Amino acid sequence: MIQLRDVTKEYPGGMLALSHVNLDIRKGEFVFIVGHSGAGKSTLIKLLYREEVPTEGRVFVAGKDLTRMRRREVPFLRRRIGVVFQDFKLLPDRTVAENVEFALRVTGYNGRDAKRAVAQVLSMVGLKHRAGAYPGELSGGEQQRVAIARSLVRNPDILIADEPTGNLDPDTSMEIFRLMERANRYGTTVVVATHARHIVDSMRKRVIELRNGTVVRDVRRGAYDD
Amino acid sequence: MRYTLVGYVFSETHKSIWRNRMSSFLSCGTTALALFLLGVAIIISLNLDYIFTDVERQLEIQAYLKMETPDEEAAALVKMCEGMDGVAGVRFVSKDEAFEELRQMFQDKAAVLEGIENPLPASIRITTLRAEDVPKVVEQVKELPWIDDVIYQEEASRNLAVLGRVTQALSLGGTVVVGLVAVTVIGNTTRMTIEARRHEIAIMKLVGATDGFVVGPFVLTGIVLGILGGLLGAGLCLGLYNYLTESLGKVLPFIPILSLSREAILNITGILVLTGVAVGTLGAALSLRRHLDV
Repeated sequence: MIQLRDVTKEYPGGMLALSHVNLDIRKGEFVFIVGHSGAGKSTLIKLLYREEVPTEGRVFVAGKDLTRMRRREVPFLRRRIGVVFQDFKLLPDRTVAENVEFALRVTGYNGRDAKRAVAQVLSMVGLKHRAGAYPGELSGGEQQRVAIARSLVRNPDILIADEPTGNLDPDTSMEIFRLMERANRYGTTVVVATHARHIVDSMRKRVIELRNGTVVRDVRRGAYDD
Repeated sequence: MRYTLVGYVFSETHKSIWRNRMSSFLSCGTTALALFLLGVAIIISLNLDYIFTDVERQLEIQAYLKMETPDEEAAALVKMCEGMDGVAGVRFVSKDEAFEELRQMFQDKAAVLEGIENPLPASIRITTLRAEDVPKVVEQVKELPWIDDVIYQEEASRNLAVLGRVTQALSLGGTVVVGLVAVTVIGNTTRMTIEARRHEIAIMKLVGATDGFVVGPFVLTGIVLGILGGLLGAGLCLGLYNYLTESLGKVLPFIPILSLSREAILNITGILVLTGVAVGTLGAALSLRRHLDV
């Protein structure tokens, strides 16, 4: 599902974020990316939904070579990927339901089907009763559940998350990871960059550790530390 | 898919104007104000032109005919003058009419003219469209048969011609400057409304919106606000002008003020609305370009 081949990413100014990274993530896997701040986790995540392109090497996602992808093909890649961020990235002037529905509307999904799908995914994340609320009226955990609902409403092949629980307390964090695990059980490949040590330790999934832009550890059923 | 996009763009534009009503209101108001000023500049320059034309038409060329000119020749000369380039009006003044004018000039002392045989020649009096036409017309009239002498205000017509050109250049320059200011103000307002929503644009791109989905509502919003701003600005300056001409006309009836024709009103409204739409749309498109590449 995801392949990185000898990927190097250098930002303008000479900051080397990733150096010769090779990675294979198969369909249906659940993968944690761990490492200190500045280790290259966010850059790796950004390469996957093509917010960034590598300086060298190739990135393949869902059978597409992102390094050779044309600009106008990018939206279609992103429709197959759900992305979740630490700061939720919800549209503040739209209700919960409108935020989730927006992800469907951009793909040209029509009204009634879209509404049904939105209702389904909101009840899955336990927010059906808050459908008419605005993001500002929700707690952090609720906002992140909306973001997850938005990323899942299109049944994505891949769910990518960058520090999804960085702003949340441990209990709420656990809820968020349970939702992602549930999506994973339905076949979605999940890649999460995180600092949530206790969760990584308790879930026992594949763990890839980055240090100074290189992969220093890649273990099945791993823990946050060696 | 096509229909969904069009429908989406319309419904999204409508919602986004309402959602961002404060900034929509401000940007529409700013556009209206900028276009109002442009409208005022246009009206002032039209009026200056009108006043000049009015003054210039008062420059009269007097072509005196030889005493023995037959009536039918005089009539033919009038026709020839009417056919000349730059001629606004031609009036034939017969010997008798000239004498009557003289009598009126003397008013109560007209008695001194009693018993005198009319010594005055008939004349053709010509007004031109612009002061600068006077010398050309004079040259042509001098060439005509039966013309004894041609009298005109040579210096006045030359000065007026120069002044007219200077005023025209100044009012055109002023209108262009005001126009540029309006364009900058509207463009900047549009840019700021989009800057304020760059976060939203980034999110749209993240969830896989194509450029059309992002740009469509913004551009349509630019068009709608441009039209509203243009209509508002035009209504404001035309209404104000109408009010001013009416009240000025009562107080100072001798001042020449242009009353705008239907066509002029439509033209001014059209110019303002088109400027608003063009700048709003272009401003939106240009500022969006920078945010789309994510």
